[in-house]
Amino acid sequence: MSMDYVLLVPLLPALAFAVLTPMPRTVRLKLVPLAVGAVFGSLVLSIAAFLAVWPGGQQLEPAWHGVVTIAHIGDRAISLGLALEPMSAVMLLVVTIVGAAVQVYSLGYMHREERIGWYYAALSLFTAAMLVLVLSNDFLGLFMAWEVMGLCSYLLIGFWHEQEAPRLASIKAFLTTKVGDLGFMLALAVIYAEVGVFDFATVLGHDWSAGTATFVALLMLFGAMGKSAQFPLHTWLPDAMAGPTPASALIHAATMVAAGVFLIVRAFPIFEASGIALTVTLWVGLGTALLSGLLAMVQHDIKKVLAYSTISQLGFMFIALGAGSPTVALYHLVTHAYFKSLLFLGAGVIIHAAHTQDMRQMGGLARKLPVTSLTFAAGSLALAGVVPFSGFWSKDEILAVLLHEQQYAAFAIALAAAFVTAFYVARLWFRVFTAPTQQAELHEGHRSMVAPMVVLAAITAVIGFFGPTLGGFLGHGIPWPAFGTAAVSTFAAAAGIMLGWYVYGRRKSVVNTQVIKQRFPHAYGVLVNKYYFDLTYGYFIVGGYTALARGLASLDANVVDGIVNGAARTWRSLAALGWAFDRRVIDGVVNGSASAVRAAGARMRTLQTGSVRGYQTLVAGAVVLFVIWILVKGA
Amino acid sequence: MSVGLPQMLTLSAMLFGIGLYGALSRKNAVHVMMSLELMANAVNINLVAFSRFVTPEVMTGQFFAVFSMVVSAAEIGLGLALVIAIYRRKRSVELDAVQELRG
Repeated sequence: MSMDYVLLVPLLPALAFAVLTPMPRTVRLKLVPLAVGAVFGSLVLSIAAFLAVWPGGQQLEPAWHGVVTIAHIGDRAISLGLALEPMSAVMLLVVTIVGAAVQVYSLGYMHREERIGWYYAALSLFTAAMLVLVLSNDFLGLFMAWEVMGLCSYLLIGFWHEQEAPRLASIKAFLTTKVGDLGFMLALAVIYAEVGVFDFATVLGHDWSAGTATFVALLMLFGAMGKSAQFPLHTWLPDAMAGPTPASALIHAATMVAAGVFLIVRAFPIFEASGIALTVTLWVGLGTALLSGLLAMVQHDIKKVLAYSTISQLGFMFIALGAGSPTVALYHLVTHAYFKSLLFLGAGVIIHAAHTQDMRQMGGLARKLPVTSLTFAAGSLALAGVVPFSGFWSKDEILAVLLHEQQYAAFAIALAAAFVTAFYVARLWFRVFTAPTQQAELHEGHRSMVAPMVVLAAITAVIGFFGPTLGGFLGHGIPWPAFGTAAVSTFAAAAGIMLGWYVYGRRKSVVNTQVIKQRFPHAYGVLVNKYYFDLTYGYFIVGGYTALARGLASLDANVVDGIVNGAARTWRSLAALGWAFDRRVIDGVVNGSASAVRAAGARMRTLQTGSVRGYQTLVAGAVVLFVIWILVKGA
Repeated sequence: MSVGLPQMLTLSAMLFGIGLYGALSRKNAVHVMMSLELMANAVNINLVAFSRFVTPEVMTGQFFAVFSMVVSAAEIGLGLALVIAIYRRKRSVELDAVQELRG
């Protein structure tokens, strides 16, 4: 059976984008079902592709692949290829399931938007790019899809571009990830110089020297840190929450931000050849997981809590990568994609119901939003790492890998991060769902919003039991959790949740933030100011850039404009001179001759008396004079 | 006293002088034209006289005189027509009444 239908998986959303984009707004509005249909078509085809790859394992040949040569440079051919193998099959399912859930959900969430058609067009383009990214069989195609996703992220964050915050956030996200992309681009250049082609098999099979491998791996890591919002390139992701919530669920929780992790998974042999790069990855992940988890504790905006939580969870994936287990990182990526998109969709319902994103103004939503509170609880427990929800299994694997690699310090930090995670999850849940009700009018979300959440919650509840199956499918073992690490991590999660309950859930009143602020003034200040990252970047990078721009502007205004205006002024005075010459000399000659003629005419006209006898006299006189002249001179 | 060339020329000169005086002194356009006719006829007398006394074998002067008379007749016809036209406009044949071409 031909497997060429795999090509349709990314092509269907891309076609939806191509159809929707050129249409006028009113027509786009009616074509929204087309986009939803396209992503469901991709979903069905992805399931078919997944079944075709089943049972997976370590395959030497991909189940399907296609290559097209796009350019020749010298005697080298630059080609782009897609390939279907176990890892891309798993990712296809993740992207299409979350994508379909988000698109259905958006029907309800965005139905009041006039520009919903454009929203769906951008969402479709994003989905297509992400599908190309996971199917890509070479670094070049991966990079192209990666950049298209960056564009879609920019477009969707800035969806409400008539407001200032989304506009600024979209620019910030684009530029910050672009800084990382520069690393990726340089890595591509080094790969081209070293290997000459980009396809995974050749590049990864290349005999890398440790130095070059470290260089390439660190550049790629930098790119991945930008895309996956790792410290210190994380600042764009919390701001990106200014975009529509379902878009955040798809792009800034489930798929795009995971692309950085996915890149490192793909390029893992290079990281292994380096060794140093793995250590750097591990510590970047550790720092990000713990520090952004701490930041999530003090945020009041429900979406920002989830954003910092996403950064923290991506940090966990980096930890798994750094510890040398890409399979576990991918496992956590998959589970996280489901439960975090579930949480974001839940947050969307909450925001719609409460008309605010500030958790201090929420409370008591459990009774008013029963389905949402249940699905949100499933997502929260998965995030906190409570058995049997999905996050428990994958996070436990990460801890197990660290223990196995005898990284005890890393293990302790990861455990602390897990504890912090459980704490901020509990804070969020108790504040939003059990604290005293502050609003009377609260309504459960529309069917189209609730149904995707139920599906995702179901996946979150059961997917953890398929860890070893997934491991087998990917060709690397994922064992069942050992009792020891499971007990430790469960203890950490339980302790975090208990502490969260003690602070936020126990009392029947909203906790006053002032109390905490007064008790821990310095720590709270550091956290509220987000470790001063934004301030530092704002002061040194943005400020420096602004100063440079101001300097150039004044250069422009004074020197360049001076030259231009000076030239203009010179021309003007030259023209005035010419005008004066024209008026005085040329016009003088013309008018002068005219007035001379007129004056002569005025004199001459007096000769014309109009008297007939006068003329007769004149004629007679002239004749007389003529005769006299003839007589005098002689004939 | 025989009539010779000098007598003829004297007559012609007198006639011309009368005509010139009339043309310059009269206000009435008809009188002016009559005076002009006198001057023309003085010329005719000159032509005939010179022809008769200077070249009697050919009749050139006489023919000229006949031509001149025909031309005068036409001229007078035209002139009188003008006078009538002026009279219709001005109710006058005084030359001083016609001064439209005064500069």
